Amino acid sequence: MRILLVEDEKKVADIIVRGLKAERFAVDACHDGQSGWEAANACNYDLIILDLMLPGLSGMEILEKVRRKNQSVPVLILTARDGMADKVKNFEAGADDYLTKPFAFAELLVRVKALLRRGPVSRASVLRVADLEIDRLSQNVRRAGKRIELTAKEYALLEYLATQPNRVFSRTMIIEHVWDQSFQGLTNIVDVYVRHLREKVDDAFPVKLLRTVRGVGYSLNDGTEA
Amino acid sequence: MNARSISFRLVAWHAGLLTAIFMLLCAVLYLDLRHFLENDLRQSQARRARQIANTLLAHVKQTGEPYVASQTKEWFDPEINGRFIRISRADGTLVYVSGAPKDGSFDPAKVPVFPPAAETEFSRKLKLSSGSTLLIAALNFKSAGNPDYLVEFGALLDPVETMLNHLFLQLALGLPLAVIIITVGGYLLVRRALTPVEQITRAAERITQHNLSGRLPVAQTGDELERLSASLNRMITRLDEAFQNSKRFVADASHDLRTPLTILHGELESFAEDARLDAELRDRAGSMLEEVVHLGKIVEQLFTLSRLDAGEAQTEWTCFDLTGLARTTVEQMNLLAEDKGIAIACDSSGPVPVNGNHVRLKQVIVNLLDNAIKYTPERGAIHLRVLAADGHAVLEVKDTGIGIPPEALPHVFERFYRVDKSRGTNSESAGLGLAIVKAVCTAHGAEVEVQSTVGGGSCFRIRLPLAKN
Repeated sequence: MRILLVEDEKKVADIIVRGLKAERFAVDACHDGQSGWEAANACNYDLIILDLMLPGLSGMEILEKVRRKNQSVPVLILTARDGMADKVKNFEAGADDYLTKPFAFAELLVRVKALLRRGPVSRASVLRVADLEIDRLSQNVRRAGKRIELTAKEYALLEYLATQPNRVFSRTMIIEHVWDQSFQGLTNIVDVYVRHLREKVDDAFPVKLLRTVRGVGYSLNDGTEA
Repeated sequence: MNARSISFRLVAWHAGLLTAIFMLLCAVLYLDLRHFLENDLRQSQARRARQIANTLLAHVKQTGEPYVASQTKEWFDPEINGRFIRISRADGTLVYVSGAPKDGSFDPAKVPVFPPAAETEFSRKLKLSSGSTLLIAALNFKSAGNPDYLVEFGALLDPVETMLNHLFLQLALGLPLAVIIITVGGYLLVRRALTPVEQITRAAERITQHNLSGRLPVAQTGDELERLSASLNRMITRLDEAFQNSKRFVADASHDLRTPLTILHGELESFAEDARLDAELRDRAGSMLEEVVHLGKIVEQLFTLSRLDAGEAQTEWTCFDLTGLARTTVEQMNLLAEDKGIAIACDSSGPVPVNGNHVRLKQVIVNLLDNAIKYTPERGAIHLRVLAADGHAVLEVKDTGIGIPPEALPHVFERFYRVDKSRGTNSESAGLGLAIVKAVCTAHGAEVEVQSTVGGGSCFRIRLPLAKN
């Protein structure tokens, strides 16, 4: 999988390149609009990550050129602006997804993987993480064969974490997925739900599945990683 | 028609004033004419009486009284002309009296004798049994060497009365007609004059509701309205520029703050997740990351406020049920409250439809509930009420929390204001939650108020206009 990153802020580009390489993606980085468009024009990338504010050609211009040439390549827009009108404009111009700075790398990765339709975005009807079983049709949750009763939100949270075991989900991602953007200002709602979930899922068992990564977020471990 | 509109008031004043002036004019005209006609008749009778006195009675010694009588009859032919003539001596005996007129309108023999009077010339009106009025001018003839005579010359007022009645009828019919014409004409004129104002108003409403790019129509008439719309347009241009500048500033500042935050976030994130580093180092990186996230939130909320100031919440309005929104929000936040042993009660008097930005109004409820949960001690209670009262939707969040001191109450909606400075240090909120509540309310034309007693709890109340169905 080959990804093109067009981002003029070198440090931001470095972080993304480093992170994506660690996930075994091949990444080319360009730091201005002109070279970005040339690279996009020269090679067939599987995904283009595009910053909007670029010297030379703007991200929007590159997006329009890319769309004129190649309809199918997925494009993920990075932006430091997030007016509602901008969002609409980006999607109209043919962006596939949209991420506002500052973002957690984990969020970027989830979106990248979703756009590439690859990786552990599981569509299976039953999710299994260690001895935890989540039936997505009946919304039944069992651990070691024992039924666990969850509220709707707790279920949504657990299911979301279980879609990618071991992956750390940021609070922002969890809020966006399980709640909505009105809750964005409140960090503590996710923590409260995770604690309740922990009581039901982990407390009675010696192996703890829910893991907290300070400052980053939460993950559901399948026991293969420490 | 709206009784308070300019056109109604102008037309009413115009019609009222003109009607009053017309009525006054008619009254003056009528009375003046009446006075003039009567006077004219009186003068002509008096002139004739003088004629008799000066030409006939002055020479009565030479000609004798019978001559006077016959000459008078010959000159004036009173029976045919409908005149009354009587010449009497000082002792009341008659020299001459005219016969009954041909139309028999009065009987000269029955006209009573004048009581003696001092003046030389005088007149009187005599109401006849037929309803007509006889106007009589009298002359006391005194001449040295001649006996005294009283000459009376009279005529009926009927022609004058008939003419005045006719005039009165014309005025009485003409006046209402004139009033109607004035009113209708005034209305048409005012409407014509106010049509451009109506157009300007409609254009102005469109501009405020949607965007500032539109301008008012400027008719090149050179009148006051052209100046008005031109100056309003200049004002809108200045507003538009200020709005655009503020938007550009927010966009630029937003970019310049977010980029370093992204870098910090990314670097610290890789530290925090780097398994090669020891746990303490990772924990420190995590701690810094928490602060970066917090900083990012403050930046986010500041931009939210800027966008609200710039009118963002005035877009994407829909009509929805405030009760439903409150209920789902309470459900979503119930666990936060339960975690502290706080019960949230939610009651309402049924659906309360409002127009507004759904996302932003939800944020208002979330912020108010979050605030209530944060400042209510364990096992407290929060009461959320939604109701419709006198054309307003009222949303009330009442808690049994620690309350707000009276001196802090006026400031709670200010940006970065904290009731208790020491409490803020480890809190996750930036002191912008209530400022956002206020900004969203302002954008919706809603009022927000707070009542609180220290130790007794606080009550936040929002009143926004009900949606009209």
